Amino acid sequence: MFGSLASLQPRQLAAQVLNFALVLSTAFMLWKGLSVFADSSSPIVVVLSGSMEPAFQRGDLLFLWNRGQETQVGEVVVYNVRGKDIPIVHRVIQRFGGGSTPLQLLTKGDNNAADDTELYARGQSYLDRSQDVIGSVVGYVPFVGYVTILLSEYPWLKTAMLVFMALTVVLQRE
Amino acid sequence: MHNTLTRVQNVFGFFTSVAFAVAAGIAMSVLLSPQAPSASLELKNVQVVKGRPHYYSTKREEYAHVKFDLDADLTSLFNWNTKQLYLSITASYPSSDPSTIPPSEAVIWDAIIPSDYAPLHPNTYIHPASKAKKSAKPKKKESGKPYPAGGSPGIVRLENQKPKYQITDVSGKIAKRGNATLSLHWNVQPWVGALVWTNKNSIGRWQGLQGGEAKFDFPPLKGTEVKKDDLKTETGGERNRGSPA
Repeated sequence: MFGSLASLQPRQLAAQVLNFALVLSTAFMLWKGLSVFADSSSPIVVVLSGSMEPAFQRGDLLFLWNRGQETQVGEVVVYNVRGKDIPIVHRVIQRFGGGSTPLQLLTKGDNNAADDTELYARGQSYLDRSQDVIGSVVGYVPFVGYVTILLSEYPWLKTAMLVFMALTVVLQRE
Repeated sequence: MHNTLTRVQNVFGFFTSVAFAVAAGIAMSVLLSPQAPSASLELKNVQVVKGRPHYYSTKREEYAHVKFDLDADLTSLFNWNTKQLYLSITASYPSSDPSTIPPSEAVIWDAIIPSDYAPLHPNTYIHPASKAKKSAKPKKKESGKPYPAGGSPGIVRLENQKPKYQITDVSGKIAKRGNATLSLHWNVQPWVGALVWTNKNSIGRWQGLQGGEAKFDFPPLKGTEVKKDDLKTETGGERNRGSPA
């Protein structure tokens, strides 16, 4: 493997590196562009828990849209608990306010017996639509996101994948 | 040019492109399936009493209890791309300042009705047996399905149904508010593609919902003459006892 590397001219090596960097930055810019289009910090999320079964299973991919500030009851929203970075996907079951006051939402997972009052931060009884909610679910693809759950639960998979991708890039001389 | 790695890569790439195209096709094809949903919702009883949110709370808030009749035919919402239908009845009432704050809304009853092709899951609606049949044949059990016996997914017939959740306002006061509405909403969960919610207007082959609304006013606060049976909520036959998140 190192033999093939050593036979590369510095210019070819630089071209390979640039190619690799271009692929990475294109993916990154696509992601950020989608974030701006959907006005959400995380426009595509993977379902991590089974609290919305049977609608969403673990590993499903959800597309979010954050430009509709008038969230209605029955919509499925993704929110972060204040102070924590775990996105939770649940359905809105109550709404108060809106208009001149901040819109407050109460959520509940379809597969949970109780609403989310226990999940919110201390002293918080309702979600603030403008502050806590990352987006509202508009589209859904099953199973595709299970890869990311595997990657986060088995960290060695991440290293293995990176090594594999690096090997294929280096060994191909097109 | 023809080594194994290239072949595997090409096959995998082609598989991904085809899978993506098929999924996109399925997601768009639902627009071709005609829909004609209809429902009739009637309020049977509404009472406002004082209660506590939890048994250890010190504050007493006003809760409204309603009973309703529902006769819905939503079978046309189930097409080849429907995984389940989330049906809900919401109560909406004006806020404390109707000129600047839009009406508040709360779900009082919901049901998850899966399509016949969806894998079995305990958290799905079990349609109660018809009360009229119960008196004639006391041994007839409920069908255990999310629709009445002899029906198909999307048919819901409820009489004097108790709600699953109680109605309360964030301010704690709900008595004597007028202009409240009970309305039926749904959310179609597809196998792949966009989620759709209730449409009242017609779009192409999809007709809007006919009916499904009932207007009422919240009565004044009732004293001690309220029957305990009227205050109960009914969770239904489905099992959803998971802990939050």
